[in-house]
Amino acid sequence: MTARQQFIATLLLGVAFLLLFRQLDPTGYQIGLMMRCMILMIVTIGLNILIGHAGLVSLGQAALYGLGAYVAAWLAVKQGVQFLPAIIAGVVVTGVFGAVLAYPTVRVRGVYLAVITIAFGLVFQNILVEWLPVTGGTQGLIGIPRGNVFGISLTRPIYFWVVAGCLIVAFIIQYNVIHSRYGRAMRATAQSENAAKALGINLAATRTLAFVISATLAGLAGGLYTFLNLFVNYETFTFFHSVSFLLMVILGGTGTLVGPVIGTSILTYIAEILQDLQEWQIFAYGFLLAAVMFVMPQGIVGSFSALWERFLSRSRARETQGWPDRSVPLLEILRPGEERGQIALKTEALTLRFGGLTAVDDVSLEVQSGTVHALIGPNGAGKSSLLNLISGFYVPTDGRITFFGASIAGLPSHELARQGIARTFQNTELFGQMSVLENVMAGFHAHYRNSLAETLLRLPRFGREEHRFFSQAHQLLKFVGLADFAEEEARNLPFGHQRRLEIARALALRPKMLLLDEPAAGLIHSEIEDLKRLIRLLADHGITVVLVEHHVEMVMTVSDHVTVFDYGRVIASGTAAQVQKNPQVIEAYFGHGSVMPRGRPMPARVEHSGAAE
Amino acid sequence: MGEILQYLLTGLSLGGIYALVALGFYIMWEASKAANFTHGDVYMFGAVLTVVLVEKGLPVLLAAPIAIAAAAVIGALVERLLVRPFNKEPNAIGWMLTTIAAGIMIESMATITYGPLGRPLPSPLAEQPIRFGGAGIYPQEMLLPIAAVAAMFGLEAFYRRTTLGRAMRAVAFNRTTAGLMGINPNRIALIAFALAAAIGALAGILIAPVVQAMPAMGTLIGLKAFGVAIVAGIANARGVVVVGICYGVIEKFIEGYISSGARNAVGFTLMILALLLFPQGIFGRREVVKV
Amino acid sequence: MIWNFLRSTSRAPAVLAGTALVLSLSIAPANAQKAEPCIAGSWELTGALAHTGLAIKMGIDAAVDEINEAGGVLGQKLRVIAYDDQGEPSRAVDNARRIGERDNCIIMIGGYRTPNALAIRTVLNEIGQPWMGVISAGTRVIEWESGKNEWMFRVSAKDRWVAPFLVDHALQRTKAKKIGFMFEATGWGQGAVPDVEAAAKAKGTALVGKETFNIADQDMSAQLIRLRDAGADTLIFYTVDRETDAILRSMDRIGYKPTIVSAWGIGVQLGKTAGPLTEGVLVHGTFAWTGQLSPRAQKVWERIKAKEKLKDPSELVLPSGTANAYDAVYIIAEALKIAGAYDKKKLRDAFYQVKYEGIIANYDPAFEKTVERHDAILPAHYKLLAYHKGILLPVAQTPHALRF
Repeated sequence: MTARQQFIATLLLGVAFLLLFRQLDPTGYQIGLMMRCMILMIVTIGLNILIGHAGLVSLGQAALYGLGAYVAAWLAVKQGVQFLPAIIAGVVVTGVFGAVLAYPTVRVRGVYLAVITIAFGLVFQNILVEWLPVTGGTQGLIGIPRGNVFGISLTRPIYFWVVAGCLIVAFIIQYNVIHSRYGRAMRATAQSENAAKALGINLAATRTLAFVISATLAGLAGGLYTFLNLFVNYETFTFFHSVSFLLMVILGGTGTLVGPVIGTSILTYIAEILQDLQEWQIFAYGFLLAAVMFVMPQGIVGSFSALWERFLSRSRARETQGWPDRSVPLLEILRPGEERGQIALKTEALTLRFGGLTAVDDVSLEVQSGTVHALIGPNGAGKSSLLNLISGFYVPTDGRITFFGASIAGLPSHELARQGIARTFQNTELFGQMSVLENVMAGFHAHYRNSLAETLLRLPRFGREEHRFFSQAHQLLKFVGLADFAEEEARNLPFGHQRRLEIARALALRPKMLLLDEPAAGLIHSEIEDLKRLIRLLADHGITVVLVEHHVEMVMTVSDHVTVFDYGRVIASGTAAQVQKNPQVIEAYFGHGSVMPRGRPMPARVEHSGAAE
Repeated sequence: MGEILQYLLTGLSLGGIYALVALGFYIMWEASKAANFTHGDVYMFGAVLTVVLVEKGLPVLLAAPIAIAAAAVIGALVERLLVRPFNKEPNAIGWMLTTIAAGIMIESMATITYGPLGRPLPSPLAEQPIRFGGAGIYPQEMLLPIAAVAAMFGLEAFYRRTTLGRAMRAVAFNRTTAGLMGINPNRIALIAFALAAAIGALAGILIAPVVQAMPAMGTLIGLKAFGVAIVAGIANARGVVVVGICYGVIEKFIEGYISSGARNAVGFTLMILALLLFPQGIFGRREVVKV
Repeated sequence: MIWNFLRSTSRAPAVLAGTALVLSLSIAPANAQKAEPCIAGSWELTGALAHTGLAIKMGIDAAVDEINEAGGVLGQKLRVIAYDDQGEPSRAVDNARRIGERDNCIIMIGGYRTPNALAIRTVLNEIGQPWMGVISAGTRVIEWESGKNEWMFRVSAKDRWVAPFLVDHALQRTKAKKIGFMFEATGWGQGAVPDVEAAAKAKGTALVGKETFNIADQDMSAQLIRLRDAGADTLIFYTVDRETDAILRSMDRIGYKPTIVSAWGIGVQLGKTAGPLTEGVLVHGTFAWTGQLSPRAQKVWERIKAKEKLKDPSELVLPSGTANAYDAVYIIAEALKIAGAYDKKKLRDAFYQVKYEGIIANYDPAFEKTVERHDAILPAHYKLLAYHKGILLPVAQTPHALRF
């Protein structure tokens, strides 16, 4: 079942179930319970996006839910605001707080973020209890008037369908976000920050989006809850509730489409049974949480899917094609500009210091566009540091860098990626849990034109762009010979293939300049030959390639220009032939006294402290 | 004047609790890069078990060490069963949920068997307060900051001077390399959790004569101490103790000068702000990872 | 936490199973007025105040057992059903519907917390469910702002009447004529503020200080220092045992020993934990099981003692609540006899005709058809208790009674 089929099937089954439920003439009590379950599903759908896709653990979701509830309640009771504007106000306020909560993610992550969300939840609860005139203190706000939309009073039977409608909308939003570049960007930031940055994905913006979506859904749920219960009380929005939302998401299956729906309904059903245990109720709840973690950490849907996959034996032997595949119309996809003959990259007196260590020391070099320029040197010479400087991962201590004339020193990586600088990494940084195709699709992120609204509403331009980039991604995979691996999970690829994928993904950025950090490391001889051909092909198409490499033979045969480093400084620069004969280069590689040029004294060896690479 | 002194004194005592419990988090984090949401409950467990043993007739000087030892066993079990299997990947969060679950179970077990009400733990140091300058404090309460500072120095000596301590530091620095040196990181983690639990239980026992031992006493303390440890940077014992004690004092001053109700809101907001200003914690080390 | 029985929606077998379940659960009795002979309550059975739910249940069990042994009511034996709401209002609402619609019990018994009782007001009216409070003393539980309370009755104290009782006794004992007020930041404590202030005003005095604190706070020195500096030598308390222990210790630390007149949040437990610090603290209640008991009360105590395996009346941690529950059940039984059938509406109407002598008071009549008289226990029935040697006794049986 594809994701799309699962999505539609769930929608249809869900609506059918609700209709059937109502046919059986349930009591007000039963309708109320069903509505409350649906409302909680809206919360967990939002949380699922946050945790399962953006990888951000929030233990304060109950506070956002409560914020939506209290805002709507306060407006309704104290200001006499109608149902619709009250709910919308709740959603807006909660969305703003979602953005506020996202801000810390710029600087902290993981456990630190969890602490901030816990603290947020506790602060919110404290405010609810203390701010008597506004929140009603521990008594809460009671006597909320029943919702009224265009003259129709929202009694339970009618309100049931309002809530169901909102749940369906939330479910659709989840699907539309997950299966779009926004969802890909979220998963990318969760799986490899560095690679995401290098593809032009703005980490802060992506995480803020995830938080805002989850917050607005929680806020919507809160507002709906207010008009269902007709009172709000702080006891409903405690840390314990945040934990149970988390449990619902995990029980269902983090990151799965249907997971939150299943997790929420099962947990609430089981709680009904737990009621009979009286004082053992809470204990049983904790036990259940632990049991799920041990037995089914992927959740119900996750475990089910894994079993299903194994049953179907989706994986089959895949065929690796040769690369680079010249039949692929690279020009159409990459669209290189007409910048031949210019200076693509220029550094002047570029310096990078880490405390007492000088990694890059007064480096000035020029890279001509459309050429292959190699940076070589012993370990610790500063080559990768220089690459990191150029791609925005480090900020220079001194000096200037310009890219086609414009200064880029100190700009963040995602900004540089959008300007046309792509790179690969020394330790391949793939989005391991995304498919090979999705990895490449992530590379196209910066080139999408459609907006969030078009994505959510699935307007025609969304479909067109997705389709176009989809086929181009396939083309790029074909280019590197991985066309048959498109559906495979990236982390399952053998090492050489991972390297190829990284390059294909970098090409999706349509770069003007490609930085390759030790691309040949770990490749066998035939793969290196393929790599050389690919690099030359790219240069022929007008892309500037800057290459950090140790394979001297490869460097010498593929490069137009070579710069040699030692201890962070440039010790030679020129064509491959020139550099090979340079005595300083020979000394750097082979040591003092290995080759004595006739008649010239050996240059004194200046002592440097070991520079960090 | 009297009130400032009062807030300072009770703040030191409260801060001592936070410091001791936060020290436990520090020890566990260093050994396994995981925290433990049952930590607040071993604090409770130490107090509750001691009360039960004393009620059965044991002298408190015998009951307390037994309770501490029992808590250490619980800490070890938590590490072995709930944290280790869920801490395999670098960004795993499974241990968060398993330990939260265990915390829920421990607290509700205690409520069912011990009862929800607090019970006193008699102590000669909690009978007469020492009063001076318009303020007063029970000698029992001063035991806490003293214990926290003593634990801090003890830990530092342990880490620097003993082989086991050095092994723990090695594991904290780089698990894999420590393993290659013949240190078993799993065993280290086990010992770390047991040690942390013992310290937490000690804190509970020390304060029980003043606040009564009851099953609900641990949860909020655990959460706050966790926040304290993170804000301190969870990287060194001194920082954690300093921040813990300061937080206790700050809480009291907030209660006194702003409002007692606002204590948690203001306190936690300060924590959030501190983390925003110092993303690695106030005393934390900035980690630069090679790309 | 909101629990319900919704099944998953995405797999056909699950849908079928869910449908079957829904079918079975949706079979509700056709006639909503005819009810089952069960007495059901939504109480706090787990959590920090679990002892309150258990205390209520004790009183109810004792009365129901007695009644059933004598043949039940209208030929049927009464059943007791206990639901746990963990002190959460939203669960209380759930349970109210469960009790009223699913179990269709003839009457629902209230619990400890006022916010929970307030939360279920609308639901009870909507489904027409009789309710009897036995503790939650908040005034608004019974006296609704709209005045339209039709189904909720109470055998317990009423904060609006408790406040003047406390203020009276405080005024009798204060030497400096300066009274302060210490209350917990909960629905009960915060809700009492207007009542206490109004009571003080009615007596021509004003509170010199008003301090609040949070549940689980362990140190109230800040608040007490402010009250001490304001000169208050007598304090009115709206607090419960755990926090009161902390308050007494804070007072001990700073050497502040005011007279304390407290609402019935504190009880037996405080005497055990705070020991000598409680000496002389006065508490409002409706009943005391310690000290000299009437023969009937003695028999009830014997029954509870046997069933719950207790040794001493001081183990009853919520003495007023247990007694309230006991009397409440008997009042319900009397009303049922007058009504002649297990019919909710008839029961409700019969309440106004009940005259009954319970262990707390002689209810003559128990209820009247006015806004304020859905409360059975009157201020005249209130008792003052005092701690002596750690035990809570009727004040006349302690050295702390005022000699006039």
